[in-house]
Amino acid sequence: MRETPRAAPTRHANECAVCGMVRSVPIFCAAVLAFLISAYALIEDEAPADFRYVNPSGIHTLDPARMSWTPDFRVAINIWEGLTSAHPRTTEPVEGAALFPPQVSDDGFEYAFTIRPDARWSDGSQVTASDFVRGWRRALEPGTAADYTFMFTDHIAGAADYVKWRLEAVTALTALSRLRDGWSIDAAQAKGLAAHPGYDLIRTEAGLPEIPSASDPKAQDLEALTARANRSDADWSRLYDRFFAEHVAELDERFNAIGISAVDVRTLVVTLTRPCPYFLDLTAFPTFFPCHKSIELLQERYRGAPITAQGLVVYDPQWTKPDYRRDGYGGLVTNGPYRVSDWAFKRRLRMTVNPHYRRAQSIQCRTIDMVVYDHISAAIMAYEAEDVDFLPSMDVPYDHEIAHLSRSGQRPDFYLCDVLATYFFNFNCVSEMVAGRPNPFVDPRVRKAFSLAVDREAIVDNVLKRGDRVANTFVPSGVIAGYDSPEGLHRNADHARRLLADAGFVDGEGLPAIQLLYLPADERICQAAARMWEEELGVRVELRCKESKTFAEDKAQHRYMIARGNWYADYYDARTFLDCLVTGNGNNDSGYSSPRYDELIAQARDTPEPRRRAEILQQAERLVVEEDLPILPILHYALPIAIKPNVKGLYPNARLRFPFQYITIER
Amino acid sequence: MIAHIVRRLLLGILTIACVYTLTFVMVISIPGNPFQQSERNMPPEAEQALRVRYSMDNNWLYFWEFIDGAVHLDFGPAFTYNDWTCNQIIADSLPVSVLIGLMAIVLAVLVGVPLGVISAVRRGGWVDMTVSALVLAGISVPTFVAGTFLLIVFAVYLKIAPVGGWGTLAHLPLPAITLSLPFIAYIARLTRMGMLDVLSSDFIRTALAKGVSPRNVVWNHALKVAFLPVLSFLGPATAQAMTGSFVVEKVFGVPGIGQHFVNAALNLDAGLIMSTVLVFATLLVFMNLLIDVLYMWIDPRIAEAV
Repeated sequence: MRETPRAAPTRHANECAVCGMVRSVPIFCAAVLAFLISAYALIEDEAPADFRYVNPSGIHTLDPARMSWTPDFRVAINIWEGLTSAHPRTTEPVEGAALFPPQVSDDGFEYAFTIRPDARWSDGSQVTASDFVRGWRRALEPGTAADYTFMFTDHIAGAADYVKWRLEAVTALTALSRLRDGWSIDAAQAKGLAAHPGYDLIRTEAGLPEIPSASDPKAQDLEALTARANRSDADWSRLYDRFFAEHVAELDERFNAIGISAVDVRTLVVTLTRPCPYFLDLTAFPTFFPCHKSIELLQERYRGAPITAQGLVVYDPQWTKPDYRRDGYGGLVTNGPYRVSDWAFKRRLRMTVNPHYRRAQSIQCRTIDMVVYDHISAAIMAYEAEDVDFLPSMDVPYDHEIAHLSRSGQRPDFYLCDVLATYFFNFNCVSEMVAGRPNPFVDPRVRKAFSLAVDREAIVDNVLKRGDRVANTFVPSGVIAGYDSPEGLHRNADHARRLLADAGFVDGEGLPAIQLLYLPADERICQAAARMWEEELGVRVELRCKESKTFAEDKAQHRYMIARGNWYADYYDARTFLDCLVTGNGNNDSGYSSPRYDELIAQARDTPEPRRRAEILQQAERLVVEEDLPILPILHYALPIAIKPNVKGLYPNARLRFPFQYITIER
Repeated sequence: MIAHIVRRLLLGILTIACVYTLTFVMVISIPGNPFQQSERNMPPEAEQALRVRYSMDNNWLYFWEFIDGAVHLDFGPAFTYNDWTCNQIIADSLPVSVLIGLMAIVLAVLVGVPLGVISAVRRGGWVDMTVSALVLAGISVPTFVAGTFLLIVFAVYLKIAPVGGWGTLAHLPLPAITLSLPFIAYIARLTRMGMLDVLSSDFIRTALAKGVSPRNVVWNHALKVAFLPVLSFLGPATAQAMTGSFVVEKVFGVPGIGQHFVNAALNLDAGLIMSTVLVFATLLVFMNLLIDVLYMWIDPRIAEAV
């Protein structure tokens, strides 16, 4: 066959199109490149800030009630002001939004704070006592899920009862709302519902089956409940409505009964459960910051109702944004020396002076940029390149070299902060078995033997080399005024082996492999400790390094024999550490439970006389660091920071609190 | 052709649905409390209250609520960064990654294709050897090494680029170059293999025999065929480059979306994990579809086949 006449032109046409396409690829690419660059060049950059510092992780939240990370606190103490604030050098309480000192009743139970007449929000309005009540109430609400609710429930009269009452109601309302909607409920929810004090009455009225209030409701009872829920929604609905209405009606009345009251516009009276020597320290803490009334208007717009079906008070999480608006409401209003003027997610947060702040005129550092460098080595390079003025954290694998430069005086701009914190190991004191093996650490003699075998000096001087302080006690010694630490244990390998033999493990015979649980950052300490145990006690140690969430889960479930732990003081008192070891405390990770210890702590709590109180606390600490050893203290951190030499008024301190309003910069 | 595209679209949606379901199952099976922020333990009641608040006390409810939101382009709140929604996080970080990713791909094509062509033409010569060695290095040197090297050379010693961060034009080249290195290597290798194949085929010999200049033969006749495998590589590669690189972002302090893939998983931030995965899956499906259409446009034989 001959070629069809139209075949050739078609091919020819194709060829041209493709040739053209391929030839135009570089041109096309270049065009795209040019476009991208020019598009990007249009983005304008703002004027540089007076002072720039690095936050390695970005801000988790700017809601002072919810925050629990140091970098978040660092911003909070500069944009808000509590009733008191912290001294820039000593971190002791000084004057804040209220006149200092407040009036304290003779018995130490009642604090009357008078808000300063010149305390102003960043929108110019007066800071009032009810702004504080609002902020504190948010921190108590279950829907806020504040990490530091305990600061209120431990110290303020009636707060613990209120929180318990709210949590019970939320549990019951959650269960009821699920039943109403025809969902099943699980054992914990059924238990919570049955445990609610108001349940019996309403159940009889509604003619509903009894939920077994016994410790574990059986599966068939739950099935019956669910079946009942599916059959008649009306009963559950009625029950739910009544529960909800009764709870909401009581809400304000119950809250007003607790020891926080705004007597007039500028007077806040706080009643404590017992005298508290460090209460003015607490009021400088972000959880005790006030909250502007705009949040309430915003909340109405957000939810429609002030409270969710489960009884939670939930706020629009966007309220912390400086430029957020919903129907004209919103936009973060703060009362501190600075206000947030711009916040770009995980890039930068800019603070500018709050023009209504009482010291506004005398603050030299007018704008502050918090910049985010995920990679701390990059942050250090930026610091060296004069891009940033302050590094509040230099947590890098070579931090011992930084510490050396600081100590030897080669770098006077590097400082070591002796932080009020302890790094320790938890011994699992509860589980008989771990990973199918017997857990020898339920025996205090074994715990003590392991403690005596560790050479902390070697860890601090030869392994970390950062200049941390050796910890023989849980509470850093000589730091808290009026508190003398006990002696603690020192390394004594012979004694350790004798104790181990007493416990039935001569030369480590019969001990299972010891599981040591830790985080990737603890690698060096844990390897050193494991080696000491292996050499001194003849045991075998299994190193189990886990990523933080899995670590936390294993620790909470007591799936470990020894686990790393650390604790940063929340306030200047030995109890911030010692409370962690009280039976049932949420942070008692070792599961230690000693009636004698609990009694001593309770006794100290009820002793107003400072010297006597310190003695009791010292006895309690002696019990845990010399006899029972639920934890093995290793060191108190020395953390390096860097401040450019031309920055004055910023001081290294034990709690890493850095108020920026006192900074002056020499150019 | 339209029918083919529609079919591919439907398949794409099915793929995304499967990806979502798988991710969801994995997310809810990880043990741990997604709401715990610091090392301080959270009271169990508080955790329960938060689970209720985010509908996470019931997996089915959460599954449907999330998909309902996702369909309406609302991915809900992020747990780790309480004050931000997943939408805001993605809207903030995706453009950064897209910008760097597109630049990297453009660079990769502009550099990789000529490299491949030259080394195929000078097969066996020192140019070919050098290019092959460079390609091998490009594929095997990890980006964190290459990135740190560039940083030290250009930012620390030569001081012609910033140390890292984001916000000005000067922050752009180093991350883009770092990200483009492995792509350059792959593209050069694909081009070289394609060219070697094509250069030994009959129509090239014919073209040369008819007196077409070798330069014209190589760049116009041979490359158009050799470029096809590169094109099919570009689909997934572009999607990958545009969704960011954890390493490049970490080394250069770039606020892209890649970090959220990794950090969200480490933080058990369920909403953020699923939204970033969905964004990536959608981009991948879309880019593949786009490349398919381009293919049909370049080579009508494929269009006729479907």
